[in-house]
Amino acid sequence: MFRHTLMLLFAGLFATGSFAGADKPQRVQDLQYGEVLFHFYQDDYFTAISHLMAAQAQSQLPHHRDEAELLLGGLQLSYGMLDEAETRFEKLLGPDTSLDLRNRAWFYLTKISYQHGLYENAAKAFKRVEPSKHNKAMQAELAVLGANIYMAMGKDAAATEILDKTRAPEGWKEYLQINKGIAQLRAGDIKAGQATLDKLGREDASDEELLALRDRANLALGYQLLREGDAEQARKYLNRVRLRGPFMQEALLGAGWADAERGNYEAALTPWLRLNKLGSKQPAALEVRLAVPYSFAQLGDRDRAIYFYEQAIEYYDTEQADIDAAIQAASSGALLELLAQADTHESGGWLHDAPALNDIPSGRYLVDVLSQHAFQENLKDYRDLGFLQTLLNRRLANIDLLHGMVDTRRLAYESRSPAIRKRLEQHQAQALQARWEALNEKLATLQQKKDPLDLATGKEQQQLATLDKVEQILNHLPDNHRQKSALQDKARWLRGILYWQIQADYPARLWEVRKQLQRLQQPVEKLLATHHTIEQALETVPNSFNGYDQRIEALRTRIQSLLPAIQEARNHAGQQIFQLAMQELGARRERLVSYRAQARYALARSYDQLAGQTETEGAP
Amino acid sequence: MKSLLGVILAGLMAWPLMALAEKQPTGMQEDVQNLKKQVLELNRDLFLLEEELLFPSNTQVSVFLSMDVGTFFQLDSITVKLDGKEVANYLYTPREIDALIRGGVQRIHIGNIKNGEHELVAFFTGKGPHGRDYRRGSTTTFKKGLGPKYVELQIVDATSNQQPEFSVKEW
Repeated sequence: MFRHTLMLLFAGLFATGSFAGADKPQRVQDLQYGEVLFHFYQDDYFTAISHLMAAQAQSQLPHHRDEAELLLGGLQLSYGMLDEAETRFEKLLGPDTSLDLRNRAWFYLTKISYQHGLYENAAKAFKRVEPSKHNKAMQAELAVLGANIYMAMGKDAAATEILDKTRAPEGWKEYLQINKGIAQLRAGDIKAGQATLDKLGREDASDEELLALRDRANLALGYQLLREGDAEQARKYLNRVRLRGPFMQEALLGAGWADAERGNYEAALTPWLRLNKLGSKQPAALEVRLAVPYSFAQLGDRDRAIYFYEQAIEYYDTEQADIDAAIQAASSGALLELLAQADTHESGGWLHDAPALNDIPSGRYLVDVLSQHAFQENLKDYRDLGFLQTLLNRRLANIDLLHGMVDTRRLAYESRSPAIRKRLEQHQAQALQARWEALNEKLATLQQKKDPLDLATGKEQQQLATLDKVEQILNHLPDNHRQKSALQDKARWLRGILYWQIQADYPARLWEVRKQLQRLQQPVEKLLATHHTIEQALETVPNSFNGYDQRIEALRTRIQSLLPAIQEARNHAGQQIFQLAMQELGARRERLVSYRAQARYALARSYDQLAGQTETEGAP
Repeated sequence: MKSLLGVILAGLMAWPLMALAEKQPTGMQEDVQNLKKQVLELNRDLFLLEEELLFPSNTQVSVFLSMDVGTFFQLDSITVKLDGKEVANYLYTPREIDALIRGGVQRIHIGNIKNGEHELVAFFTGKGPHGRDYRRGSTTTFKKGLGPKYVELQIVDATSNQQPEFSVKEW
């Protein structure tokens, strides 16, 4: 029982996905890392691992690179991938890794070796962890782990020493104390163990977890003292176990034995009859069926002893028939029905609601068997495989949708690209660019020449041409023409005015031309860039559908090859559960047979004694 | 009597040994581990492919939600509108709230938008200080350029005025 207490305690501490050093709220520097934590904190390990692997593949975790590796290892450990986790943690032990990360990696490696049952390796890894003096929680967690390793190796004194040296922070004190007390008892230091567990057993407890822990300490101590032959002290501790707690039945049985050990059978009957009345199926309740009549027999009340022995035999017969029916039902497929109920299509975690078999009277035995701790790992495998199967079947059903997406893109490209390409081939953007460059060059030449006439308006040029013609005509007039000279003067005067106007406007005109050209520069360049972008897009868009069909088909092949393997493993897991269940039911049946035989033997002896007593009383 | 006590203790001692025995690695466990590894790798590849096809990086936008201690605000639900269109409406479980308070970040929306300016509006509903019903909105505009756009909605406890604060961070 002590070892079981440890196992439960250990499972309680670590199976919840506790991640040393990552429990306190933290600000993430990469959003995708925070997204992984969001799923991890909900114990959804599969989704968390998937997101983490995808984020790593896309290089989205530059600020949490090492932490992500450590988290991935921790997630794999929680998801039952011990070997993968071990490889990952070992990789983290390089010289570049920070001391904190190295410590956490060693911590996990210790835990993995412990879970593998490789205690020597676990002890070696344990010695490599050097938790920070400021991280009291990690120190305490590590101490409990180390103590469990040394106790599993039979080095109970070493376990005690580890726990002795550790200062427990808030929330850890009770766990350290119970482990220390148990280690002391196992090491043979009964007095010290008693003192430790006694202190823990008297502590105030505010919540159910601590109350149950206190009950465990008292129960462990009570049974140990019973074995040591100190029934009086044992009774004291067993009395402290709550009658509404999870260990009430074992405590009632032990309390009765403590009284019986001291010859006080009348007192023993109080807890035993109470336990007998519960009608529970737990081992303690089965055993009390024998203890009650035994006690009456010891008190000399043979009638009641016979009554309760007969009741016990009847009870064991009924139970045996139920177990036989359960074995029969399990062989006929009832277990598979139960297993089907375990399929919740969720990843990771434990089964919160126990499945039920209402139609089969003996179904409670099967449900009870499957609820046992020993079945949980197998059931978890069975469920996990069921989840993977559901997931892959869904993925397979959707794979054609991926093809559909690719086809839509291809079709859109094929229908639109010819018209776009045709327009691109007209090189309108390049033509505009060339025209702009020509104008720019012309402007540069104008600026060099500095001739205002180059910027004369069309009208002005027309006027100048008119003046040229007028002057030509005037030149051909005879010199004696009476108005020739006056007209020539007028034409020169007009030309002068025109020149003067052109000359005066030249700077403004030059500025305006330069401004217009500058304004045009950006749109022309943008147009050219767009032209290039479209040209590039026409080249690259096919990448958004080319090659995808092959990738999708490769993934389809991988899904199809994995599905039968998962089905096979699941069948195998189901068979293992079936075999374990049959073994367990067989063992329970044997126990009942043994109890029944003892009851029959004791009943026969009671009848003999009663007959002998009657004969003695009837003798003259 | 001693023999009966022996039976009882033997019975109670039997179960821890079973619990230890199951911890030994078996071929079956190795098979299951290997299958999990293969499915996870396959799932990652499918995930990446789907993202490439459904949300190409040039048009991709993701909206995330984070919160700190949660003393002054207990989140019940959130509604997110992008350019006037509702893209997410989410009701939280206590488990999810706990995951957020511990440092988890939830991606509440992933979609596609064009390059340029966009408006994001988020409505937070829950219990504010002193357990009163609380509803607050937060509006922001952001610019989408090349590459995926990430926007984080943050709920932060402001100790100065003992009120929750809702802010938006562009990544």
